[in-house]
Amino acid sequence: MKLEVYQIIVPLASLGFVFNLFRRFLKSKASWQEAALGAAFWMSVGIFALFPDAISKAIANFFGIKSNINAIIFFCLGLIFFFQYKLFFMLKKNQMATTELARKITLQQAEKEDLQS
Amino acid sequence: MMRPEQIWIVIPAYNEGPVIEQVVAKVIGSGFPNVLVIDDGSKDDTASQARLAGARVLSHPINRGAGAAAQTGLSYARRQGWKCVVQIDADGQHHPEDIHRLVEVQAQTEADIVLGSRFLDPSPGIPPTRVLYNRISNVLTNTFCQRSYSDTQTGFRLLSARAIRNLRLRLDGFGYCSEMIVQAEEKGLTIAEAPIQVTYTDYSLNKGQDLVMGITTAVDLLWKLLFYPSKMK
Repeated sequence: MKLEVYQIIVPLASLGFVFNLFRRFLKSKASWQEAALGAAFWMSVGIFALFPDAISKAIANFFGIKSNINAIIFFCLGLIFFFQYKLFFMLKKNQMATTELARKITLQQAEKEDLQS
Repeated sequence: MMRPEQIWIVIPAYNEGPVIEQVVAKVIGSGFPNVLVIDDGSKDDTASQARLAGARVLSHPINRGAGAAAQTGLSYARRQGWKCVVQIDADGQHHPEDIHRLVEVQAQTEADIVLGSRFLDPSPGIPPTRVLYNRISNVLTNTFCQRSYSDTQTGFRLLSARAIRNLRLRLDGFGYCSEMIVQAEEKGLTIAEAPIQVTYTDYSLNKGQDLVMGITTAVDLLWKLLFYPSKMK
């Protein structure tokens, strides 16, 4: 099997990301769910880079899409939507936490003022 | 019927320095001495102007939105054990003397929430764009309600002690207007409507929601209703 340059770089980078996730999990900086999901993602990127034709054709056949290029486009769009959803969810969670914090500070300050007056 | 001194007028405000003193003074002049301004992280002198006019002021350290400010007012009201809160807008579009109307309707209907509706007895001069935005918002909100309301986006509302105890608003932005109604119905609170008058000035028109904000509010509300219905309760 003749390897292109990207077929060496991408799997190596993916391995680096998996290693980094594992390290973050061991340091309790990432939950096991985050580590597992991240590792699965980067491993699939690495494997896809190694066997692009075989995998894209298999995806095209599975979904009944005519060309493997279309299958890649659909797959990437799906991934983008997934990450968009995840980011939006995280953003909303952070916004709610910020509001709660702002409210707590405000009410504590009000309580102090009420006690003083 | 509630006496004026038993009622607290809550005014969420963000950068309302030019008008807040006048708004607070008008409320006090209408016979309601208890005014609470929630300064939502204003960059101008909103807080000091409101204090100068005689209001109690709570200040958010940063700007969090109209819904967040309204909920801070409710949380404080709950802690203080207030029996009745009337919320009005800070931009001067509402007529404080209409508070009496809301109080009367509450006394007649014993409703937990009284919405001050701009469209039951429409004031002249409501801009057509405002009417359109509000109609769209009404359709969207009423879709998720058991009853139909004529002004779901009004910032003029009376809340009874039961409503103050039970409501937990989670939307930071203007979507809280719809959220409050949907949540109130979920919790078995009763809602009535009373006609109010409004006066739109160039100032208040610049302060309200525009089309982009309206769309963001609708997306926010739909997101919560469709994906996190439990968070609306």
